[in-house]
Amino acid sequence: MKKIILVAFSICALYSCTTQKLYSWSNYETTSYNYLKATNDKTSADLVKSYEDIIKKQNGSRKVVPPGIYADYGFLLLQMNKPTEGKTMLIKEIELYPESKVFIDRILKKLEK
Amino acid sequence: MKKTILYTILITFVVSSCTVSKPVLKTVAYKKMYDEKPVSVLIMPPINRSTAVDAKEYFHSSLLVPLSNAGYYVIPPFLSMEILKKESAYDSELFVNAPLQKFGEIFGADMVLFTIINKWTKSYGYVTVGVEYIIKSTKTNEILYNRKGTVNYSTNVQVNGGGLIGALVSVAATAISTAATQYIGVARACNSYTLSDIPLGKFAPVNPKENEEFAGQNDFNINLNSQYSN
Repeated sequence: MKKIILVAFSICALYSCTTQKLYSWSNYETTSYNYLKATNDKTSADLVKSYEDIIKKQNGSRKVVPPGIYADYGFLLLQMNKPTEGKTMLIKEIELYPESKVFIDRILKKLEK
Repeated sequence: MKKTILYTILITFVVSSCTVSKPVLKTVAYKKMYDEKPVSVLIMPPINRSTAVDAKEYFHSSLLVPLSNAGYYVIPPFLSMEILKKESAYDSELFVNAPLQKFGEIFGADMVLFTIINKWTKSYGYVTVGVEYIIKSTKTNEILYNRKGTVNYSTNVQVNGGGLIGALVSVAATAISTAATQYIGVARACNSYTLSDIPLGKFAPVNPKENEEFAGQNDFNINLNSQYSN
């Protein structure tokens, strides 16, 4: 029995070695689908949890937060009536990915109105 | 006699040209994409031409991961979706053949990804999905990447052992797995299979062998299972 576990484990380890992705995503795909399907307190909280997991521990090879995560997290915080935290996250997206500046600046301007 | 030979040659030619499709290098198949070197991509809300109501959401929530992992900057999907809704641009069907410069100006997107779900049917143990991916440049409006195909996804969990008990376990496993998470897995498998040959983006480490790699068939038919969803 122990042998089987060991073999399974080493196969897993080997597999993850050869196919290391740029980023890790926690269970983002499931929680984002659930949120998309039905937006409520529960699905919002689950999505927040995914964003925080992704931001706190990155096991991907780049060791940075993936594209769009800070901004979408910020957007979710805005929806949840947390404007200060939301804006902070939007600005973090621009800092990490200057590619987002055109779009996010536009959103920040709208928020100031 | 001559005619017979001629016909035979002709028929052989036609048949062989149908079945044998030579592999094409990625640098040839996606030349425009390599030339343009786009950095950022906007995911358009998937176009759902199937009868499955949830198919659009399954695809929408599973596209950020493969595109980011391929090295691209993906415009934040939830935030951009909200703006597309506000600007009455949520129906992607309107833009497939329209000028895309505006998407470059508003979102800073170098390219736009359209996903068209042509078919999504469930039968016992299988989901069959007909899907097409079109990536267009917001600068030139040209198609940079295009693949379409049919994915037969086995929702059956493989159980070793066989026999009556094995069969029973297999039935139970199928019944349990027909949940939303299973269908996200289907969409994820379609995305990761199809987009596996996309040229690498800015954030991906340089692969010195990329110019020797072949593009996948641009019109494919493939059987996948849950191992492809990981």
